[in-house]
Amino acid sequence: MSAVIDRSWRDPALLGKALPAVLLQTTCFLAPLLMTIALTFQRTRDFQLSWTWSLHTWTDVFTKAHYWTILGHTLFMATLCVALCLLIAFPVAYALASRLRAFQNHVKVLITFAFLTDATLKTFGWVLFLDKNGAANYLARGLGFEGDAVNILFTDWATMLGMVYNLLAFAIFTIYLSIDEIDRSLVLAAYDAGASKFRAFWEVTLPLARPGIWAGAVLIFLLAVGVFLEPKVLGGGKSPMSAELIRQTFETRVNWPLGAALTMVLMTVAVFVVLLFNRVYSLKRHLGPA
Amino acid sequence: MTGYPQPTPWLNARAEARLADVLLYGATGAVLLFFYIPIFTLIAFSFQEGRFLTLPFEGFSLRWYGELFRNSNAGNALWNSTLIAVVAMVFATLIGTLAAIVAVRYRFRLRIPFTGLAAAPLAFPQLLLGIVLLLWFSVLGRQFNFNTGLVTAIIGHVVYIAPFAMVIVAVQVFNFDATLEDAARDCGASNWAVYRYITLPLLWPGIFSAAIFSFLLSWGNFYLTYSLSGAARTLPTFVFSGIATGSSPLYPAIATVVFIPGILLVILADRMRRRAA
Amino acid sequence: MNWNRNGMTGQVAPILDIRDIRKSFGAYQALKGVSLSVAPGEFLALVGPSGCGKTTLLKHVAGFEEPDSGAIAIDGQDMLGVPAAARPTSMVFQKLALFPHMSVADNIGFPLKLRKVDAGTIAKRVMAMIELMQLKPEYLTRFPRQLSGGEQQRVALARSMISEPKLLLLDEPLSALDVKLKKVLQAELKRLHRSVGVTFVHVTHDLEEAMMLADRICVMRAGEILQVGQPNDIYYRPADAFVAGFIGDTNLLPVEIRSVDAAGAAVAAPGIFGEARISAALMAPGLLAGPAQLMVRPELLAPLESDGRADFELDARVSEIFSKGGTVQYRAQLTDGSPLIFELAGSSTQPAGIGETIRLGFANRDIYLFQGGNAG
Repeated sequence: MSAVIDRSWRDPALLGKALPAVLLQTTCFLAPLLMTIALTFQRTRDFQLSWTWSLHTWTDVFTKAHYWTILGHTLFMATLCVALCLLIAFPVAYALASRLRAFQNHVKVLITFAFLTDATLKTFGWVLFLDKNGAANYLARGLGFEGDAVNILFTDWATMLGMVYNLLAFAIFTIYLSIDEIDRSLVLAAYDAGASKFRAFWEVTLPLARPGIWAGAVLIFLLAVGVFLEPKVLGGGKSPMSAELIRQTFETRVNWPLGAALTMVLMTVAVFVVLLFNRVYSLKRHLGPA
Repeated sequence: MTGYPQPTPWLNARAEARLADVLLYGATGAVLLFFYIPIFTLIAFSFQEGRFLTLPFEGFSLRWYGELFRNSNAGNALWNSTLIAVVAMVFATLIGTLAAIVAVRYRFRLRIPFTGLAAAPLAFPQLLLGIVLLLWFSVLGRQFNFNTGLVTAIIGHVVYIAPFAMVIVAVQVFNFDATLEDAARDCGASNWAVYRYITLPLLWPGIFSAAIFSFLLSWGNFYLTYSLSGAARTLPTFVFSGIATGSSPLYPAIATVVFIPGILLVILADRMRRRAA
Repeated sequence: MNWNRNGMTGQVAPILDIRDIRKSFGAYQALKGVSLSVAPGEFLALVGPSGCGKTTLLKHVAGFEEPDSGAIAIDGQDMLGVPAAARPTSMVFQKLALFPHMSVADNIGFPLKLRKVDAGTIAKRVMAMIELMQLKPEYLTRFPRQLSGGEQQRVALARSMISEPKLLLLDEPLSALDVKLKKVLQAELKRLHRSVGVTFVHVTHDLEEAMMLADRICVMRAGEILQVGQPNDIYYRPADAFVAGFIGDTNLLPVEIRSVDAAGAAVAAPGIFGEARISAALMAPGLLAGPAQLMVRPELLAPLESDGRADFELDARVSEIFSKGGTVQYRAQLTDGSPLIFELAGSSTQPAGIGETIRLGFANRDIYLFQGGNAG
């Protein structure tokens, strides 16, 4: 609908509009990122950063198995979180796009509000709910369960619950947008060809919703490897994930180069995993369903 | 000529439709319940009479709202949250809107790198963004002699939120018919008049939603504020430190107070968006 | 019959004068040296297949595009470098481009508001436009999306006319309407043109529309003007086989020019008809001996009684019959196998059925002869 205008990137009208974002993200995103990479090659002495180039931090990172165990755990949690989010989000997104005509906007507003509400508060709310003497057990006892029926607070399960809770909306929104774009007549054409509802869904809707599913998965994965609040507040800090390790390295151990290196490792591995999946996925598409 | 037989489904059509309905409505209901469990739990606990966050309640009262009112730290945090959110909203919306116009309306050689750079923080974990920026500001601060505080927190928020604003406005720009601008020029409008009478009014619903989204993302932000605000506290960091040192119904009361502008703004944004559609 | 390729008849100073405009988008040449003059008060239709450059040409006049070379003058004023906002032209866009966030009154009054006309005058002028367009006054407070397609057209026209432009440019504004409404609005356009006396330049790919509305038609193809002329000239004396084929159904019979002299030519079509004389007035200029094409419009062919005579006579075997309501179109094959279309007035009895052979004739004055064996 919107006409695309060809312009040289030097065009003043274009440059004027692009410049604020470019300046902001180069000075306050790209430059800090590059500096962080540079920091990994520095040393610390007596909790003070000293600008001397060295590979000390990196030999440390690559020789301590501890860091890598935590990273492995983080990647596992993030992957599980992506799978759960997609599984839960898909039917909701589909319902939002295909049903709920009258309530569609109310449901969207409710989800948006839940999404935009402060994550700390919501996570705190879960603590109150899941606590031994909290709301969940109170309700469970009311329903006739014995003792502490709900006892998952301060375990990995609670961490996972919090992660899914805080990231689910991303998947709902991206999948909803891509289902909403599907031309309804394509589905009708599938019915006309003799497909049942499920068959039409499987053969037409699902493949066409792939961009949204993929976008949601990537977004959630990248954000999930960086969670810190959930493992600390809901998981009780018992099995730390990478972000918590990084925070401790900065705050408790005051080792900036190491913290920077761990940050870089985490981001590199996360992006690498995404690219790997993308590769396998597109390979499979090219080879066809063998 | 009888043709091929009709395919036989594994369920008859009506049973299939009912199963689909149960699954879809069920999932939506369950997810809404899931989303609101902690929110309702917090609201409920804010009316607890006693000072422990356990059930059953000792009684219902508004006692903790009174405490909240008298607590100067909480008031301070509320003020800081609002200040950061308003300033971050203005800048994030402005930068995001301009970037969205560039990314959608123009085709130029550096479009893909530009869009990538402008949207990059969207996929960067907030805690890590906070840390990276903290390092940056610490190094710069040592050089130019400043400390982290409200200003650095605002910068961090804008870095993180401007991409969100860009995505929201981009949808509106995408649906914008550029010939309307040509039509206005043909009617005799200068570039400024085109902006004032056509472009801005038509993009306004998207800009408005982006502004509300920006405000709320900043208002409720924990990770970036936690890293970047120095000694200043906002509501989220205030609650976090409160939970860490032992809780009282004061915090659920704060949460409930925080929810109110949130839900009102979300409803308002939705109204605007629908009026424009 | 004094038309020339790009000029106008008569000696009035042109309101629009386009001189050798060239425009390329990258490697693609959209306009390859176009020259055209339009007289004040004229209704000119620009026609051609999609991609021929007609809309591009219109955008150059409106000021949305600047040419690579050439000149455009409106009312004697050079327009190069003058932005669209400052040109005395007004455009009706293909999709109308009504501002969705403004009421009908605000839409129509917008050009005057930009010219800093006071609110009272604007209201009066808007009211006058509403009357001129035969819109109901209660529509003034409505928004464009609340109006029907035809009403939206009228609002778009009103907005274009309110600033009293010297040139009204129409970019296929009727193309999205259904046939019936289209007919109504075509009549409306004609009426409007006659009553306000503004010069209209109307882009369309609908030939019937161009024939109906325009004083002159300009046929374009691939960035060039092929012919400019009055509708009848274009229809009965097309510049070449392409124009002939583009404007309505036609028959192009392959003939051989045996000899040419000042009075005319002798032609023959072996296997169809024998040698015949054609006067110079019915020949495209500059014809030489050799293969040529003889054009005759389907409606100019008539069945011959068993003893009837005509200047040209031929036998055709009917292969398909299409009833078009008032007329019936027959598709047939000549004795040498080449196709022929003829159209007869509808009647309850058919002169020939499918598979039957019919003898047809046409008059010498109804043909036109031009160059080329397989042009088009």
